[in-house]
Amino acid sequence: MVKIITVFVLIALMGATLSAESPGAKDKVFPYPTRQTILDNGLKIVTIPFDSPGIISYYTVVRTGSRNEVEPGLSGFAHFFEHMMFRGTEKYSKDKYNDVLKSIGADNNAFTTDDYTAYHTLASAEALEMIIDIESDRFMNLKYSEEAFKTESGAILGEYNKNYSSPFMTIFEKLRDAAYSSHTYKHTTMGFLKDIMDMPNQYKYSLTFFDRWYRPEYCTVIVVGDVNHDKVVALAKKYYGSWKRGSYVLDVPAEPPQTEEKFVPMSWKAQTLPIISIGYRGPAFSDSKIDMPAMDVLSQVLFSQSSDLFRKLVIEDQSVEFVQGGEQDHRDPELFIITTRVKDPTNIQKVQDEIYSAIEKAKTSPVSGEQLAEIKSFLKYSYAMGLDNADAIARSITHYVAMTGDPESVNKVYSLYDSVTPEDIMMVANKYFGTSNRTVVLLTMEGAKQ
Amino acid sequence: MKRHSILLTGLLLCILNALNIQSMNAKTPVKVTEIYSENSPLITFRIILRAGSINDIKGKEGINGLTALMITNGGTQDLKYQEVVAKLYPWAANISVQPDKEITTFIGQVHRDHLEKFYKLFSDLLLNPRFDPDDFTRNKDLALSFLEKNLRGTDDENLGKEAFGISMFANHPYGTADATVQGLKATTLEDVKAYYKKTYTTGKVWIGIAGGYPKSLIERMKKDFARLPEGKFVPISLPKPEKPHGLEISFVEKPARATAISLGHPLDVTRKDKDFYALMVANSYFGEHRTFNGVLMNRLRGDRGLNYGDYSYIERFTGGTGSGSRFPNVNTPLRQQSFSIWLRPTQPENAHFAVRAAMYELQKFVDDGLTDEQFQQTRKFIANYSKLWAQTLDRRLGYKMDSEFYGTDDYITRIDKELKTLTVNDVNRAIKKHIDPANLEVAIVSDGAKALRDSMLANAPSPITYSSPVSEKILNEDKVISTLLLHINKAKSKVVPVNELFENESPGQTLERKDDEVKK
Repeated sequence: MVKIITVFVLIALMGATLSAESPGAKDKVFPYPTRQTILDNGLKIVTIPFDSPGIISYYTVVRTGSRNEVEPGLSGFAHFFEHMMFRGTEKYSKDKYNDVLKSIGADNNAFTTDDYTAYHTLASAEALEMIIDIESDRFMNLKYSEEAFKTESGAILGEYNKNYSSPFMTIFEKLRDAAYSSHTYKHTTMGFLKDIMDMPNQYKYSLTFFDRWYRPEYCTVIVVGDVNHDKVVALAKKYYGSWKRGSYVLDVPAEPPQTEEKFVPMSWKAQTLPIISIGYRGPAFSDSKIDMPAMDVLSQVLFSQSSDLFRKLVIEDQSVEFVQGGEQDHRDPELFIITTRVKDPTNIQKVQDEIYSAIEKAKTSPVSGEQLAEIKSFLKYSYAMGLDNADAIARSITHYVAMTGDPESVNKVYSLYDSVTPEDIMMVANKYFGTSNRTVVLLTMEGAKQ
Repeated sequence: MKRHSILLTGLLLCILNALNIQSMNAKTPVKVTEIYSENSPLITFRIILRAGSINDIKGKEGINGLTALMITNGGTQDLKYQEVVAKLYPWAANISVQPDKEITTFIGQVHRDHLEKFYKLFSDLLLNPRFDPDDFTRNKDLALSFLEKNLRGTDDENLGKEAFGISMFANHPYGTADATVQGLKATTLEDVKAYYKKTYTTGKVWIGIAGGYPKSLIERMKKDFARLPEGKFVPISLPKPEKPHGLEISFVEKPARATAISLGHPLDVTRKDKDFYALMVANSYFGEHRTFNGVLMNRLRGDRGLNYGDYSYIERFTGGTGSGSRFPNVNTPLRQQSFSIWLRPTQPENAHFAVRAAMYELQKFVDDGLTDEQFQQTRKFIANYSKLWAQTLDRRLGYKMDSEFYGTDDYITRIDKELKTLTVNDVNRAIKKHIDPANLEVAIVSDGAKALRDSMLANAPSPITYSSPVSEKILNEDKVISTLLLHINKAKSKVVPVNELFENESPGQTLERKDDEVKK
């Protein structure tokens, strides 16, 4: 019998005021009640009831992504491993696993990011136990041959090929590579092409990778929809209970401060307009510090469709097709990336200057109270409007669990958005948008005149 | 008393006059489809214009899409585009358009906190568009850039699909990428205004709404949209698509890392037909989109690692390729459909083998059909899987409107009903009746198209090598596949330089001539 510790029970016994049961409230941006239980082995179980009769969305988030790829020459492995997780176990071979999914009519897939890997299944609520059975089995007992491993590496190369017919992916790869020197964000989640080409030779490392990271303390199971928390916990206890904790400790190399501006010119053989991508080293995600929320608000001030820059460059001058900027949430400091596609190659410098001028203005001119209120309204409504089905809710909570381990982070961070002041915005503009903190990639068509 | 009579007579006359005026001005009523859900805070509008790129004016191909763009990316009589954007911003409300071949769908989404103001703005964009010259320049540039830069230069998967669609529906109203470069260039703002006036009529506009809206909104919308000019919806008659003879291959030449491949043929079955549901089971078994269920996925990617994915379809599939939903877009119905196979980009050296492998599996699929066990498994899968396709009110609304387009019961309900009575014999008969592996259109996007064409026309062997040992069974199968004789229609197979694709109305003919000139 596996002993489980339910967090809210434990905390209640300790007399603490915190609870892992969030009742949900209409004044919170995430209004649905959330319950979390942590098994003895560290695996977290989160359930969120939602009005989707007969349907559940089942996510397993592993807090391991390309950020964990610390060894040189092995970039892209978190993503490769996501593929290998579909190669079967002794109990459920690859075909048998798929037959089960087919029999329950499930929609099932996975994705990998810099910070985490998520496995998701959308299916009938009646299939809950079957899903827990097959998912726990592959997380605990994955088994594949070296041949299967090598064959799958072909699919990875295929994925690289499909993604990299777009210049935006190539630009992102170059921007990351230039902006970082030590941190694993230097490479994209796909990994460097040379490492992808070498993947077939890394079977042994794949076993090490599984042993290190596919451990209960790195994982959270999130079930949203037509769900009963106690039932999920009882089944989780039965199927995941024997899963053992690991011992590996991740040491991601710290990135030293950038000291000078970097510039990377690129050419593109096929048809394209010039694309400018500018990366500033920004802050890490936090649900307690103001920097990241203030940066998100600043990105709206500078680059939303209601911004002065959008009006000038897209609508009035029509010198660019689009201009956008922002920083994705990351566990460690990531780039705030500005991207624009310039219609006329002779305007590249002018457009760049307009962007820099808007940034300089944001450092000294406080945002009006009216504009700030509109931005906060936009952020709140755009989040709330996305929560219209079980899968979308599960995906959103997966993201916040991946960032901090705590599903309540979503409400904490939106409370921070509410507290952002014009001074906070000027503070982050000054702190992160220095010339020496900047990397610029310029892509132009091969042979085009500028 | 007398006075009363006079009054009554006068009143009666007024009423009769009013009725008379009404009957003289009786307009085609605006069609409405709704899904009311009291508790849903999100309101979705899907306003369909029953016109698409098939309604484009000759020489101005793309005018339907450009007009739609002028509505969603433009202003109203009272507000400039920038002012519209500023109003929508704090509500995080979305207004977008999905122009397609048969219909054009204007999509609006808003939280009910802002419904009243949003509806005023959204309806104003559709009913009183600004048609500003500056907006026209910007939108035309965007539309041109989509063809000239995005499709031709930066998106090989969609380039391959569009090239395939153009070849399959040559000399047919479906046979463009919904615009051409020359057609867009020839279109003026005055053309757009005239197209709007002619096309946006009471009979062609169809309102869809879902969510927790006040019920009075329906009558209000009917009244508001009744202000559009009178006009009946008369569908354009479509010719029967030309059947390919042998393999007719378009080799699209462009710089590319890998080789994207599509193949298939027109299909005379749609959702309204019983056989569609038999083919749905067959197709799911052979190549269900983005799952590991299909034969193609398992044999090409699973066993051989040829690429990222291999799927098949019995109707045109749009959307479902990003990291989000794998389900198709709604509101892209067509009266004439197609059967197709989509092989995601392969390494160039494996392209010839990949086409042969797909052909090999297709022939087996048609020859052998499904066993009863495979049929039962697949039918059960679809019965459950199809229920996941309409998880949001927005998608339910889209499916409902599509069902009305096809003139059939609610699609998801009908799938359930048809599957219950289906037999394995129905499925295998439908495969043999509707799928023809001998006569297919093929589109291949490749760097080195001429060399690939020469190799394929010569039916040269295309052996494949692996970085690791594979099973004897696969190696033996590879021997058959790598020398599989493909019956390619040489006269109808051509190299198409990418910069000429999407240029003119009939690219096939123009490009074939140019290719011949290159050969000389």
